[in-house]
Amino acid sequence: MKREDQAGLTRRDALKIAAGAALSVPVLFTRAMAAPAASAPAPRFFTREEFALLDELAETIIPADSHSPGARAAKVAAYIDGRLAEAYLPVEADVQQRWRDGLRRVDTLSQEMNGAAFLAASAEKRVAVLTRMAANEKEPKTPEEKFFRELKGTTVHGYYTSEIGIHQEMEYKGNTLQQEYAGEEPTD
Amino acid sequence: MLFQVRPPAPKEADLTTVYDAIVVGSGAAGGMAAHILTSHGLNVLLLEAGRKLDIESELKSMEWPYDHPRRGEMPRDSHAITLNEYTVRQPPYAQGTEYKHVYSYVQGWGGSDYSKNIVVDEKDHPYTGTKYAWVRARLLGGKTAIWGRLALRLSDYDFKAKTHDGYGEDWPISYADIQPYYDKVDLYLGIGGHKENLPHLPDSLFQRTTRLNPSEVMLRQSLKKMNRVLTPYRAGVTTDGLKHNKYRSKCYGRGACGRRAGGCDIHAAFDSPTGLIYPAMDTGHLTLRTNSTAYEVTVDPATGKARGVAFVDSQSGQHYEAKGKAVVVAASTLESARLLLLSKSNAHPNGIGNSSGHVGHNFCEHVMGPSILGRVKDLVGKPRTLDDGRPGGFYIPRYRNLEERHPKFIRGYGFEGGGGTGMIPGRALSTPGFGADFKKTVRDEAGAFVHMGGFGEVLPRYESAVSIDPTVKDRWGIPVLKFDYAFGDNEKQMALDMAATGKEMFEAAGIEVLHADSDILTEGWSIHELGTARMGRDPKTSVLNQFQQSHDVKNLFVVDGSSHVSASCQNPTWTIMALAWRSCDHLADELGKGNL
Repeated sequence: MKREDQAGLTRRDALKIAAGAALSVPVLFTRAMAAPAASAPAPRFFTREEFALLDELAETIIPADSHSPGARAAKVAAYIDGRLAEAYLPVEADVQQRWRDGLRRVDTLSQEMNGAAFLAASAEKRVAVLTRMAANEKEPKTPEEKFFRELKGTTVHGYYTSEIGIHQEMEYKGNTLQQEYAGEEPTD
Repeated sequence: MLFQVRPPAPKEADLTTVYDAIVVGSGAAGGMAAHILTSHGLNVLLLEAGRKLDIESELKSMEWPYDHPRRGEMPRDSHAITLNEYTVRQPPYAQGTEYKHVYSYVQGWGGSDYSKNIVVDEKDHPYTGTKYAWVRARLLGGKTAIWGRLALRLSDYDFKAKTHDGYGEDWPISYADIQPYYDKVDLYLGIGGHKENLPHLPDSLFQRTTRLNPSEVMLRQSLKKMNRVLTPYRAGVTTDGLKHNKYRSKCYGRGACGRRAGGCDIHAAFDSPTGLIYPAMDTGHLTLRTNSTAYEVTVDPATGKARGVAFVDSQSGQHYEAKGKAVVVAASTLESARLLLLSKSNAHPNGIGNSSGHVGHNFCEHVMGPSILGRVKDLVGKPRTLDDGRPGGFYIPRYRNLEERHPKFIRGYGFEGGGGTGMIPGRALSTPGFGADFKKTVRDEAGAFVHMGGFGEVLPRYESAVSIDPTVKDRWGIPVLKFDYAFGDNEKQMALDMAATGKEMFEAAGIEVLHADSDILTEGWSIHELGTARMGRDPKTSVLNQFQQSHDVKNLFVVDGSSHVSASCQNPTWTIMALAWRSCDHLADELGKGNL
């Protein structure tokens, strides 16, 4: 009985969200833009420094543009942090360490290339660091290149499954009642 | 508009009584058997090995990814077997694992936290032998809770395939025998589609069709010039609604149907519980017992006939026997073979119904793998359309070995596919680079992709078989299946041709081919297992007659995909239900005449 009620609620909420997606856009945007960094909840897995670096990396991969907000507003870093804070089995324990190491490597590479940590470098120089890391995207070989794949994959997943990614960036029109199927019926 | 009618209250099973029939399994076949037999006024006990799940709250079809704590993915202690694991390892795949739960590959689709209670935990349900991606759903309704919904008819190109090309056996029925039952299934359960008048893919009695998006229309028009057809997905979904069924809503094209491993929480897509079992319970003639795993068809030693079904309660571990005048096995192709082989007695030393030695043999299915991905340049940067607000994209019916003969292989294959984007742009990760250009490319191209993958007929061979493993048992102590099965040369040649013609069709339509894969996926990937207790006229080379009735034991029927003589390349669910309907009409008739 209880479960059914909850399901009903979820469904109605989902419909409401779909119907109100266009309306809720400006609200979300404002809230995301206005949130002062200091009041953000403490990360669960990363240190604050690591989290700030991850947040910048995610935004560099999927930045805000004239079409929609980017990974920062979509809270992609918080999503990644939350996933990494989950209890890992020993068989996958290296995943957490890989992320820590990966972030460290970004700063090391930035030091080498720019003489400054990633966050301390100019926007242009940050892009240069990521460009180097993305050089062999299809077949990454170095630890930096491999970390880029993982970072991009997780950022892409986090962004395009977010409210901003689905409704604002991709303008997804489904998951709501349709009177007619979209598209064309064969005429012959 | 979206409402759900609660399932009818279940009746307590009475194990002191003799039921008119006991049905084992509640998927497409068992649900249909229970429905038809009760419609004839028979008292039926339906045994389902799995649980009854509250499927609406389980599937959460309309939950947004961001409302789920892991964006729909499983917990860290659970694992879905990957293609690589299936390829490099042999079953049992969960052996030696650190994971708390291990599931078949379907659980990995889009990372699915939604079907974890639907597909079985491989740790409880091991199997052995050759590599095989065996996907099992143990719950009321079986795999109909998550099926792909493509509902196709077979034709005499399938039923009379031996006459056509000399290989294997003809079915003991022809299209004319089953056609009235296809019609009944269409009208009773609902199907959307578009008439094409093809002899090899007969039309159904269609409700409102789903539609095609621009890239699909482009491909359809181009294929016409090649004398091939692209038709809107023939979906086992009621697109106009069903006045006679209060448990099912019509399809509202909400989309996201393909986002997870299937499932429809408003039951517009057919599933066995709302389509067949609840209405059967409403007659007052059906008793449903879930958590009841059958492990033996018991035999009356005096007559050699089936006496009932022995089962274990999967929750309590208690063992029981239910008695029936007839036993209808519908546990799925492989589980039904397992049950028959486990049912050994003095009267039936090789397993019940197995005097031919053919139970477990002639195992066939569909071969998958070859797939094509393309991009339509004219659609890049166009305003966003709704591309997934429908139960499926398109189907390209078989075109090989109909009139002409291909030099390298017999039989044929079809393609399932679709154009445009879903909720999440699937190509984002394979779009190179990062930054503003990357983001714009993903956005502009999302609606321009079109893809399709082939489903080919696997030939039945006597040596393609499952048997009972002599030592390994499942969690309830029931001996498990051992596979001895692999694709042969005909399948490999066919797969090469799929990849080649798929590419050729995209190119002819002016679709830029981005990727054409000719690799075969692991045996089992199609989830279309068939043929382990085939029908036939000759009791020496077949297990069942044309009414899916055992040649050896006249009150034993096997009404699921195991009865199919050959796999066809057309998806089997609609045929499974049409045959079960026909056979159960016959069963009721024979029982009434005292012939069983």
